[in-house]
Amino acid sequence: MALDPRQFLARMTQRMGFSDADKQLLKSNAEWGLTIAPDMADAFYDYLGRDEEMSQILNATDGRIHRLRETFIEWFHEMFTGMDDWGDNYADRRWRIGLIHVRVGIGPQHVVPAMATVMAKVGDRLKTDDQADDLRDALSRSCMVDLAFIEQAYIEATSTAVLRETGWTEGLFRRLVATGAGAM
Amino acid sequence: MALNLEKLSSVLQNFVSGTADVQGAALVTPDGLPLTSTLPSGMDEERVSAMSAAMLSLGERIGSELARGSIDRIFVEGDKGYGILTSCTEDAVFLVLADKAAKQGVLMLEIKRSLAELKLLLA
Repeated sequence: MALDPRQFLARMTQRMGFSDADKQLLKSNAEWGLTIAPDMADAFYDYLGRDEEMSQILNATDGRIHRLRETFIEWFHEMFTGMDDWGDNYADRRWRIGLIHVRVGIGPQHVVPAMATVMAKVGDRLKTDDQADDLRDALSRSCMVDLAFIEQAYIEATSTAVLRETGWTEGLFRRLVATGAGAM
Repeated sequence: MALNLEKLSSVLQNFVSGTADVQGAALVTPDGLPLTSTLPSGMDEERVSAMSAAMLSLGERIGSELARGSIDRIFVEGDKGYGILTSCTEDAVFLVLADKAAKQGVLMLEIKRSLAELKLLLA
């Protein structure tokens, strides 16, 4: 179930209604995005760190939390810049970040509420810094695209591992999931 | 060449009706889709097909991992009977359900014969 990040990005962009106008607005506020990124990283990891299980994961190795925080700041800023205008590099980077979440063990159940906390903080900063509301909407849509990558990374990593271990075909796997879910 | 489902179905029906203590049989794709089947009432063809493909594939994987060579069949023995899975061709899996009273030697011989017929039709 090899995912094509570029295609996935295009599909999610369309699905979330993340428009060219959104991209332009984010780009023109990239500088502001970078200034608030460290605070947003703090909000994200403070939220996660309050959960005992997450705290253990985040601090499992020396420097992990520091590296993750640095990555968050870059990731947050990239939501404004779009890297290569939301092209292949952006899609690959989102996919890799999703896979890092899988590897580290930060699941969607943790990321989604943590991201909601970040968006609430962004809302506060928009007011404080006298920024327009449509910037919040644009950032929300961009964020939803990125969350979709993280959730999909979990599904892809899990199903790829099952297929590799069992030798099942993709079609068979989907059929078993569908019939299994139907029987729940 | 298009598959002759009528003939495949006929081979299956003859096998089920002509072999003592056989309760049902199915021919399914490796994706778990039914090609043709003669199953006891109450059995869901779709579900049986998916299970059959999953089990054979997993069995082959286990065989490879445990260095058992290529797998001839997967044999499931319960207190009510047997389920035997055999790879028919690359595109088909053959499932046989038999009563506990079935004589295993006869069963295997009949499966072998039917497989030869099915392979010809699937070639």
